[in-house]
Amino acid sequence: MQTQDAITPGYAMRPKLNYLNNGTTLKSWLLTKDHKRIAIMYLITVSLFFMMGGLYAATIRLELLTPASDLLETGTYNKVFTQHGILMIFFFLIPSIPAVLGNFLIPIMIGAKDLALPRINLLSLYIYWLAGGMALWALMQGGVDTGWTFYTPYSTTFSNSYVMAVGLAIFINGFSSILTGLNFIVTIHTMRAPGMTWFRLPLFVWAHYAVSLVMVLGTPVIAITTLLLAIERISHVGIFDPSIGGDPILFQHLFWFYSHPAVYIMILPGMGVISELISSFSRKKIFGYEFVAFSSIAIAVFGFLVWGHHLFVSGQSMYAGMVFSFLTMVVAVPSAIKMFNWAATLYKGSISFDTPMLYGIGFMGLFLIGGLTGLFLGAIGLTVHLTDTYFVVAHFHYVMVGGQVIAYLGGIHYWWPKMTGKMYSEFWGKISAMLVFVGFNLTFFPQFLLGYQGMPRRYAAYPEEFQVLNIFSTAGASVLGIGLVMPVIYLGHSLIFGKDAGDNPWLLPGLEWRTTSPPPTENFAVMPVVTWEAYEYGEESGLDVEAAKRRLAVEAAT
Amino acid sequence: MSTHETSDKFVYHEPGLQHQFEDMGQQEESVSIGMWAFLAQEIMFFGGLFTAYLVFRSKYPMAFAAGSNHLNAFWGGLNTLVLIVSSLTMALTVYYAQKGNRNMQVILIMLTMFFGSVFLGVKAIEYTDKYNHGIVPVTGLNKVVKADTKSEHAEVKEKPCYEVSHGEEEEEYVNPRGEFQWKDCSLVKLAQDHNYLTSAEKIGYFSNGEIDADKFRDKVRIFFFLYFVMTGLHALHMIVGLGLMTWLLWTAWKKYYSADYYMPVEMSGLYWHFVDIVWIFLFPLLYLLGRHFMH
Amino acid sequence: MQNTTWVPLFPEQASTFAWQVDALYFYLIAVSIAFTIPIVAAIFFFSLKYREKEKFATPEEMHGSMVLETVWSIIPFVVSMTIFLGGAIVFFNQYTPPDDAMEIYIVGKQWMWKAQHETGQREINDLHIPVGRNVKLTMATEDVIHSFFIPAFRTKADVVPGRYTYLWFNATKPGKYHLFCAEYCGLNHSGMGGWVYVMEQRDFDNWLSGNVSGQTPVEEGRDLFTNKLGCASCHAGGPAQRGAKLENVFNTDVKLVGGGVVKADENYIRNSILNPASQVVEGFQPIMPTFKGQVTEEQLNSLVAYIKSLSPNAAAAASANTAAANKPVAKPAANTAAANKPAAKPAANSNK
Ligand code: HEA
Ligand code: HEA
Ligand code: HEC
Ligand code: CUA
Ligand SMILES: [Cu+2]
Repeated sequence: MQTQDAITPGYAMRPKLNYLNNGTTLKSWLLTKDHKRIAIMYLITVSLFFMMGGLYAATIRLELLTPASDLLETGTYNKVFTQHGILMIFFFLIPSIPAVLGNFLIPIMIGAKDLALPRINLLSLYIYWLAGGMALWALMQGGVDTGWTFYTPYSTTFSNSYVMAVGLAIFINGFSSILTGLNFIVTIHTMRAPGMTWFRLPLFVWAHYAVSLVMVLGTPVIAITTLLLAIERISHVGIFDPSIGGDPILFQHLFWFYSHPAVYIMILPGMGVISELISSFSRKKIFGYEFVAFSSIAIAVFGFLVWGHHLFVSGQSMYAGMVFSFLTMVVAVPSAIKMFNWAATLYKGSISFDTPMLYGIGFMGLFLIGGLTGLFLGAIGLTVHLTDTYFVVAHFHYVMVGGQVIAYLGGIHYWWPKMTGKMYSEFWGKISAMLVFVGFNLTFFPQFLLGYQGMPRRYAAYPEEFQVLNIFSTAGASVLGIGLVMPVIYLGHSLIFGKDAGDNPWLLPGLEWRTTSPPPTENFAVMPVVTWEAYEYGEESGLDVEAAKRRLAVEAAT
Repeated sequence: MSTHETSDKFVYHEPGLQHQFEDMGQQEESVSIGMWAFLAQEIMFFGGLFTAYLVFRSKYPMAFAAGSNHLNAFWGGLNTLVLIVSSLTMALTVYYAQKGNRNMQVILIMLTMFFGSVFLGVKAIEYTDKYNHGIVPVTGLNKVVKADTKSEHAEVKEKPCYEVSHGEEEEEYVNPRGEFQWKDCSLVKLAQDHNYLTSAEKIGYFSNGEIDADKFRDKVRIFFFLYFVMTGLHALHMIVGLGLMTWLLWTAWKKYYSADYYMPVEMSGLYWHFVDIVWIFLFPLLYLLGRHFMH
Repeated sequence: MQNTTWVPLFPEQASTFAWQVDALYFYLIAVSIAFTIPIVAAIFFFSLKYREKEKFATPEEMHGSMVLETVWSIIPFVVSMTIFLGGAIVFFNQYTPPDDAMEIYIVGKQWMWKAQHETGQREINDLHIPVGRNVKLTMATEDVIHSFFIPAFRTKADVVPGRYTYLWFNATKPGKYHLFCAEYCGLNHSGMGGWVYVMEQRDFDNWLSGNVSGQTPVEEGRDLFTNKLGCASCHAGGPAQRGAKLENVFNTDVKLVGGGVVKADENYIRNSILNPASQVVEGFQPIMPTFKGQVTEEQLNSLVAYIKSLSPNAAAAASANTAAANKPVAKPAANTAAANKPAAKPAANSNK
């Protein structure tokens, strides 16, 4: 079978052309239909947006070092956190894992040459660029100050900032996300290699299937909402503006009808990555595969029913509030199932602590806290006190940064050898993972305490008794910042000086590890036929463990 | 999918088969699933607007009825008919594509395009009418009518708004800045007399217990705003549809399709039917609901 | 607020349902710990115990367990239902105002809270309430959404344009508590707040019938200006401010919209506060609300005194002109009061 030589790492005859050097002109990149190249272009853009968002975050933390609004004026501060939120959510976190890792890996993982609709894939990248460019233009013109939630009537009538331009940018960006999701759905349905049944799919693919459902069904709603918002701003028709008959709460319903499911767009791919990491680095089949797979779908579906938990104190009816609180509790259960299955997977494994696994374990701890504090916020009587305080800020950073960003970093490290063919420095990788973990907790844990004390969010100036905890938070952010800058350096370094990674550095059974690193343009020299179960480490997987061990011995000797 | 193992560059590729697929079956399945997912997306897209429509319709039924009454059900009905027929011609196009009958295909595509254009033409007539009557809900996008010194119209103005009967506002009016115009609030009076104002309306149309023409106008404006956004987006979809048809016409003319390969025709047909169906919902919601109040 | 610990972890419990919210909080913390400990312990324990002994080992295969899956689906579900129930009960208490509550009307406005008591007393960015009484707030807003938030009472509610929303509480402890605006409302969102004063019934009655304060006029004026009346929300200084600059304005000539010029004396300042629209400073919009009926005469005096103190030189010069002694800022207040007397009369009459 073809697997044998594909697995023998390093020693296999490497084809001269891989996706990276198959065409070197700018045009060959910009007009490519290769999902891997598109993923790389996403990677670069998304990272730039992350850095910008991070710079805004640093500015926020510096301003909050002291109680008075002394570093920034309140107006500037308002723009800073708004733009931080918008860039991070719409232009970084939502595309992060799906558009980079999903794009790169899904076709390889299911044994296809490409996504089903490669031109649509390229189109989605261009739409993203267009939207991103437009957002940046708007920020340069003067920015927005509405908060990332754009609540009306402030955004429609009172704000003097570039709400319309940014709204339209988000509208356009939505289509990028829709097309990506659509492409994944089609690909996963039709492009699976022979033998790759639904229940042999890696959980990463399952998670992306669930995410794609949300992207395709949720995103159009935010698109139409921002469109209405933008039109309302020019035409002053009262859809949302109460002074002429509109309904500001309708906006909140429409906004959260998308944006709550969107938070699952922001975590499900991360969960997919974690399933891979946990299983790979304990060299065990994931515990309760079907449950983990279906819980992704359950999260995606139930996620559409709970948007009202963002409106507990907005004046919606008391009974609506209770129903949404109830459903919020229900949607937490599938996440719980995942947590338990991950932990159980470690049992009797053979666990190694390479950098990606550090991120994987970090994720479990941080998402646990983030998710549990989500329950605090879902308990309606408690949220009345907590909503719009720093407790919420801490909750969503725990799930978004502690969850998705950590998973994203873990994934980048994990598949880096596959994407580039090079190995980064394990030493610096570990240091940076630890710094991120420590810095992150130091930044955001104090914010739970601040929130319970009552410090409202989006405050440029705050009463003095909150200062001590804010100092902790700012200090933590500095550590976190350092931890996050390091990968940029050592990963960049590895591109040129890194040692050859080999095709399968960790000897893993997934299809992506059975092609060369970096993979050729059409992914496999010979198209695979799958005869083994997902996460199969035993004989059936066809992995040549003995050869790999011998290789290790040779390496150790030299 | 069984050709996997033998697949490489030297395998014979059917026309229209793209490089990432193994065979036509796979490609067609992909395109079809993609199209359905796209349509699901479209449903959610229009769904947001329908939600907004329902919210405001239930808050301000009288304002919406007043707005509805002003739309011309004849044009709307004609357009409905035109679209239904175009759906038929589209379905026949697919049928003849499957049969591999090029000439019928070309004829039917042209017919479909013809009906599509009629639809858009009627829409243009309707929009122009709104423009002339000053009921485009955006200031500045209406016909500008400079103040006229002839004083006949002053009388119309002095009547209480609920006695301005329907149609009267079609006379010359003054609108120097192209603002949204709405004078008739007879329906409010009607509803007040028969006691079926909603609680939102009781606040929304009145100031100090009197019917407030301005406040009522704002609510009617919401109706027209939704009317323009919904029909506008629908018309945009029609235009995209016509673009698709043009391409289809070209490729059909070139004998691109055969009994073995007619996927693009089928998919374009799916899209065309979807756009028709949206109109089937728009027409009663915008043109018909609340008509009985007028008579 | 409390000032005992250096990092206060909890705001004071000062309303009847505060303890319920806290209890719910502790329950959730307990639940969190109960789930965290086993999970984290398992991760730690497995990580140590099953640490790889040999590279590329293939551990024994394990199959899922239906029993386990069921157990760990049902337990979280049941626990989460208890959380839901607890939350719903507390919420029900928080949002069902009792019938016998005394009512206070609240209006939110960028960026101040205006309160009016049933007796007609008005206040801005402050709320005085008696201890141990049910208080119901009926709230509206003039512009955007705000949110009335008193951490010590563990309650808040958004104030939504175009409708009334309600909030109620029963304060249990006299004291001074933070009042915040919790819904982002634009430029000065973080400045939109003040204090809630919970007083014994007797003190509250006193307060209703008139203010007692032991402050000098300038101090009181500053307090009124920055906190109680919210002048600072427009006149705080800095380039983004919406109101005219008040520093060094006293005794200068002010250009008005429409071409007039007036000298900014005490009368002018007083008139600017009571009838802002009558003399609008050039380059500004007539957006300043009138404070007629909201400031007592004493308060007006203090305000004028404070605004004068913002112009140390001019005030001194003016004082010198009237042949008064060149005293530090606080003192000339006496002069101010004197100077104000004649002007105060007609205004007081017109109020009636
Ligand atoms: C990645 C993003 C992400 C994720 C995954 C989540 C997950 C959850 N969120 Fe969060 N949330 C946000 C991002 C996210 N959230 C953002 C951005 C906001 C604020 C937006 C803004 O206003 O700006 C927000 C705000 C927010 C609110 C509104 C707060 C407010 O403004 O008043 C609420 C209220 O219910 C809430 C609840 C939840 C719940 C119950 C979950 C659940 O899905 C969590 C489930 C996970 C677990 C529960 C942990 C694992 C389980 C166990 C270990 C077993 C024990 C479990 C049980 C006993 C059930 N979130
Ligand atoms: C994906 C989402 C995401 C991410 C990753 C972050 C990351 C961070 N956020 Fe963010 N945050 C939001 C989403 C996110 N945030 C949202 C949605 C809001 C609400 C906005 C609103 O209210 O409207 C918010 C609000 C918010 C607030 C509250 C503001 C307020 O309410 O007044 C604070 C305060 O501390 C904060 C802090 C931080 C910090 C310290 C980080 C850190 O984790 C950031 C760390 C990153 C870096 C430090 C940059 C990394 C550096 C490199 C990659 C190196 C390259 C750079 C150079 C060489 C220059 N955020
Ligand atoms: C909503 C914003 C706003 C608030 C609140 C406000 N002002 Fe003003 N104020 C203005 C504006 C705008 C002007 C300039 C236009 C005018 O004269 O009306 C002004 C003008 C003035 C002037 C005249 C200044 C000059 O340069 O001649 C004085 C004095 C003044 N305000 C005092 C006060 C005091 C005292 C308070 C609080 C009790 C207060 N203002 C509250 C907006 C405000
Ligand atoms: Cu008012 Cu924030
Ligand atoms: Cu949510």
